[in-house]
Amino acid sequence: MNPFSYVRPTTEQDALAALAEPGSVALAGGTTLVDLMRLEVMRPGKVVDLNGLPLAKIETGASSIKLGALATNTDVAYHPDVVAKLPALADAIRAGASGQIRNMASVSGNLLQRTRCTYFRDNVSPCNKRAPGTGCAALEGFTRMHAVVGTSRDCIAAHPSDMCVALAALDAIVHLKSRAGERTVKLVEFHTVPDDHPNVESVLQPGELVTAIEVPTTPLAAKSRYVKVRDRASYAFALASAAVALDVQGGSIKDARVALGGVGTKPWREPAVETALVGKPATPETFTAAAQLALAKADPRPDNAFKVELARRVIARTLALVAGGAK
Amino acid sequence: MLAFARDWLPPRASDSELRALRSHLRGLGAELVIVGARQAWRLRPDDDLVALGELAARELHRDHGGREDAVLVLDHDGSVMFEHRQLHVDHSTLLAGLTAATEAMLSSAPMLFTRRGFVGTCVVSGFAAVVLAACHQKEHHDPDPAPAAAPVPAPVEIDVVLDVNGTKRPLRIEPRVSLLDALRERLNLPGTKKGCDAGQCGACTVHIDGKRVLSCLTLAAAAQGKPITTIEGLGQGDLHPVQKAFIAHDALQCGFCTPGQIMSAAALIKENRATTDDEIREQMSGNICRCGAYPNILAAIKAARGGQTG
Amino acid sequence: MKSVGTPIDRIDAQKKVTGTATYAADTDVTKVAHAVIVTSAIGKGTIAGIELANARKSPGVLAVLSHLDAPRVFAGKKGGGPGERILQLLQSDVIEYADQPIAVVVADTLERAQHAASSIAVRYATEATVASIEQALGSAFTSKAIVHGESDSNRGNVATGLGAAKFKIEATYTTPNENHNPMEPHATIAVWHGDELTVYDATQGIFGVRNRMAEVFGIPKAKVRVIDQFVGGGFGCKGTPWSHVALAAMAAKVVNRPVKLVVTRPQMFSLVGHRPHTIQNIALGCDAEGKLTAIRHDVINETSRFDEFVEPSALQTRMLYASPNASTSHKVVKIDAPTPTFMRAPGESSGTFAIESAMDELAYAAKIDPLELRMRNYAVTDPQMAKPFSSKSLDKCYRAAADKFGWAKRKPQPRSMRDGHELIGYGMATATYPANQQPASAKATAKPDGTFLIQAGTQDLGTGTYTVMTQLAADALEVPIDKVRFELGDSALPEAPVSGGSMTVGSVGPAVVEACTQLKAKLAATTDRSKDIVAEVKTVLKDRDLYSFHSFGADFVEVRVDEDLGIVRVARVVAAFAAGKILNPKTANSQFVGGIVWGIGMALEEETVRDRRSGRIVTRDLADYHVPVNADIPAIEVIQIPEQDDHVNAIGTKGIGEIGITGVAAAIANAVFHATGKRIRDLPIRLDKLLG
Repeated sequence: MNPFSYVRPTTEQDALAALAEPGSVALAGGTTLVDLMRLEVMRPGKVVDLNGLPLAKIETGASSIKLGALATNTDVAYHPDVVAKLPALADAIRAGASGQIRNMASVSGNLLQRTRCTYFRDNVSPCNKRAPGTGCAALEGFTRMHAVVGTSRDCIAAHPSDMCVALAALDAIVHLKSRAGERTVKLVEFHTVPDDHPNVESVLQPGELVTAIEVPTTPLAAKSRYVKVRDRASYAFALASAAVALDVQGGSIKDARVALGGVGTKPWREPAVETALVGKPATPETFTAAAQLALAKADPRPDNAFKVELARRVIARTLALVAGGAK
Repeated sequence: MLAFARDWLPPRASDSELRALRSHLRGLGAELVIVGARQAWRLRPDDDLVALGELAARELHRDHGGREDAVLVLDHDGSVMFEHRQLHVDHSTLLAGLTAATEAMLSSAPMLFTRRGFVGTCVVSGFAAVVLAACHQKEHHDPDPAPAAAPVPAPVEIDVVLDVNGTKRPLRIEPRVSLLDALRERLNLPGTKKGCDAGQCGACTVHIDGKRVLSCLTLAAAAQGKPITTIEGLGQGDLHPVQKAFIAHDALQCGFCTPGQIMSAAALIKENRATTDDEIREQMSGNICRCGAYPNILAAIKAARGGQTG
Repeated sequence: MKSVGTPIDRIDAQKKVTGTATYAADTDVTKVAHAVIVTSAIGKGTIAGIELANARKSPGVLAVLSHLDAPRVFAGKKGGGPGERILQLLQSDVIEYADQPIAVVVADTLERAQHAASSIAVRYATEATVASIEQALGSAFTSKAIVHGESDSNRGNVATGLGAAKFKIEATYTTPNENHNPMEPHATIAVWHGDELTVYDATQGIFGVRNRMAEVFGIPKAKVRVIDQFVGGGFGCKGTPWSHVALAAMAAKVVNRPVKLVVTRPQMFSLVGHRPHTIQNIALGCDAEGKLTAIRHDVINETSRFDEFVEPSALQTRMLYASPNASTSHKVVKIDAPTPTFMRAPGESSGTFAIESAMDELAYAAKIDPLELRMRNYAVTDPQMAKPFSSKSLDKCYRAAADKFGWAKRKPQPRSMRDGHELIGYGMATATYPANQQPASAKATAKPDGTFLIQAGTQDLGTGTYTVMTQLAADALEVPIDKVRFELGDSALPEAPVSGGSMTVGSVGPAVVEACTQLKAKLAATTDRSKDIVAEVKTVLKDRDLYSFHSFGADFVEVRVDEDLGIVRVARVVAAFAAGKILNPKTANSQFVGGIVWGIGMALEEETVRDRRSGRIVTRDLADYHVPVNADIPAIEVIQIPEQDDHVNAIGTKGIGEIGITGVAAAIANAVFHATGKRIRDLPIRLDKLLG
């Protein structure tokens, strides 16, 4: 880990000023930053500890729940309103990492977490994300954990978050603040695909801070679940996961949201599947048929080609899970 | 910087390639001369690509010994400071070549391959990783290519006070010291173990404010102001019920993961999430035990939770 | 008042649960400096240039060692056994495997050493890398390096036997590279006092470390002391010294200060050995009644370019079943990889996966219950050595475990049992491990205060050595257990063998008992208790040629396979083991269960992947290399079958550290077949192999 200077601002103003300096990085829970700094993959000159700021509240409003950027994953996942009104979100967070990590990780840190691609992390292999222009060692390498969609010739790294998949399905909105002002971005537009600049992962600008993520508490959102499939029962990243919300009335699907994890370079909404579900009867046949439309543009590698079919089955399984509860 | 790139031609250079090259040069305060088979071009960060003429190309070939496929970094006098050779410098590999040569220059060593890899300018989702301040502090129009002083601060120690097991422990440490290493190497509390130093095994679990967290991913400086409990402080004189239960149920073998298991279990019981067997297994999955004591760990936690220890 | 055979609490448990057990890296040594190993980025070639100036200028750095100027030491020569393997001690510019040590940075703090290490720049001349057996199969050859037997064996005529068979199975089974990954990374603290070296080292074999360090540095063994009172797991990778131990001592010599070197978790995948990838071809033939007419088991595993290691996967096949015709062979292929080493049940774990899967396939082919097939081929005497077993209670194991498991409820047809989304399968397999023994020494001292101190230079890796030796001593002395203290983990103590091969109890136990017996006699012969009274013993192995010494067991497993998603989970395990006398049923249970957990990991999760191009290890941390977590492990019931053996050693024990893993992977693969109708012959069995 490189030597750095450490500051712990007590006001948002001071934090934004510190973050505007070149070479500054925000520290929230530390579960991504400290890890990548120890690997020498990230080398900020200044670490700005945000934990003195009052950004940890979880606020239930009339039509949405606002998750403060520094609320811990645990606090969100077990918050009674989240559990009741956004069950896929609670499921998703609980399916991630471990109890200890969930106690440390923040909402904004989970949003901004970085890929687990081994070639990115080893600090030696050609990696366009870590070292632009050096190539992508994963393309012809071991790709079991890599993305099958949203990829490019420059990068196939999967986005590892569970929380973000649920947020994508639940139409979440990211609140941002900088010295220039505030803005909001839809979560599905927050993360970017690698294209030819995999070193850029989101629309967050230098000097900008995530202050909250807001999730609408619609009737649709209340009927949502998350299913994660991995290589062992716990403490592992997804091979494929799905967050699904289904509004079923009189046995017929009125509205649907489907998002995939483990397979995309960013959390992956599936509008084709959603469209195919609406208006149909909520039956296993419908679910399977609609799920087959997922990942139509998948471009897998030999090691991860199985994820395409797996993801489709996970969608069908999750749909059945939600529909089963809806009866 | 001078790149001998036999197959490079302006019409084939995409916007994104030129953008990437300019960005790189801007960061260095350098300009690039690309020497093709017969023609040479100059690229400055904020100018158009300029053709230098076939004569210039021939002279450059002559001056630098008919090199092919190399990227050179030159000083003011045109002396070659560093050379990066690679298989084929063309549109797809030119930036890589510049990058590698840059790293060579910045690390003051002639080389093809850096163990550290390229320390590049990345603007990444709020974690703005900066190269070296040389690149940022320099005005982009500064033509001086000499490397500047290292931008990261020299290791500076700061005063940190950690509230550990009920006692305030002052330390003078660099900010990069983890809570785990502060405990083990400076506070003579080696009960907390380092199994992976990457947040992947749970052996380093301690309590901060009563919550189970990983000390390897916690900076000591960031752990100030909150009570920290380690395995040495859990019992407070007598054995904690979880400790007693672990002994009685033989929930350990080599014992290396044990402090982390116990700290995790004690907090889990307080979290009130140790209800069913499956829930305990799931909630304790962040503590790896290679000896495979899991069934006994489950039994011990149930016993401790239930108020019994044996 | 006997203690042996009672389930007393582990004697060292109190220290372990309070965090006061001192592991190697915990040792408080004044003015210790920190060393970090730098490893190669390529898998084969040479170092063309290495730039150390930045590292040397880094704050706090005391020294940077590389092949350019490292002290000359003896790194080993070809043809040595594992204890004399060739180490990578910065003596040349040659790179033999990816992540090989190429430099060491020593600094006053760990953070400074780590960061300085990252500034070292290396230029390589890379050569084409052969990263797996499959890239070099044609070069397989027979190595002399096999331990515990000959490379090849034959009895009868396998070709004739196969020709006469009514049912035949011929298949290839493969197991991947695996890494031990004990929770405690290897660690060494090296301290020189003049020309005397003390190392606090995480090791299963303190005397092996002592001998090797003496050889590396060219000093007498008497000038080297090795201390390791608690080992955080070993499973074979701490059985013999690796490069980091000598590098730590080298660094300490150069900087003239004690040096602590802790191997990083990624380095644990290349620096300290691994189980090699095996390719195993098996042919089985049986008659209409299921009696075996032929067994053939041929094994290939990889080794490094510079040392040979044989994974003896076919050894147990020689004696496991009665068949008049049986042949086995072992071959190795040299590739650009580190030298493999012993990993929990080396040979028996990988080998039982193959033979027990093949037996299951034969059972289905012959339409005979898999358990019944084993019974019909029960070997009452060792068929290969033509000797009686010193004891064998496998039949009791089969019956007890089958009964408890409810094997009779199994519907023979695959895919005939289900529960909602989950297909249910039952599988079984035979478990076995040899009962090894080596000579050992022990010292028993009667103190004037009425207590007893028993000492042996052995190791406790979580195996329970502290506890069972105390129990043995207390009984031999006929005193209460709280009067006895057992010391281990110091090469200043009487010499004992490496804690490997499940032989600690069988080797050191008799020495302890003998020493205590002699001490008791001395005490009876005197009334003067004002001074220490001592008895010291070195055992001699009794004639081991008359019998064949093995433990046996039976594993029964229920798996649930998600029909759509392919996820396999083990729902329950029932196993029975007969391993001679069990000294402490509580700690023994933990050993058996721990082995079974390893078997589950082996069957379903573990694989070390190397990049095809560079040989670099891709699965280089505990997030990518999966070992079982708590949620993977169901209820595991172990039945300990009492067994008396008067021939195996003076105390009737057989060793239990490794038998637990044997058979489990096959039992799981067999259960997966029963559940799904899909036969998976390649480990690990992960969902993508079942999605079909």
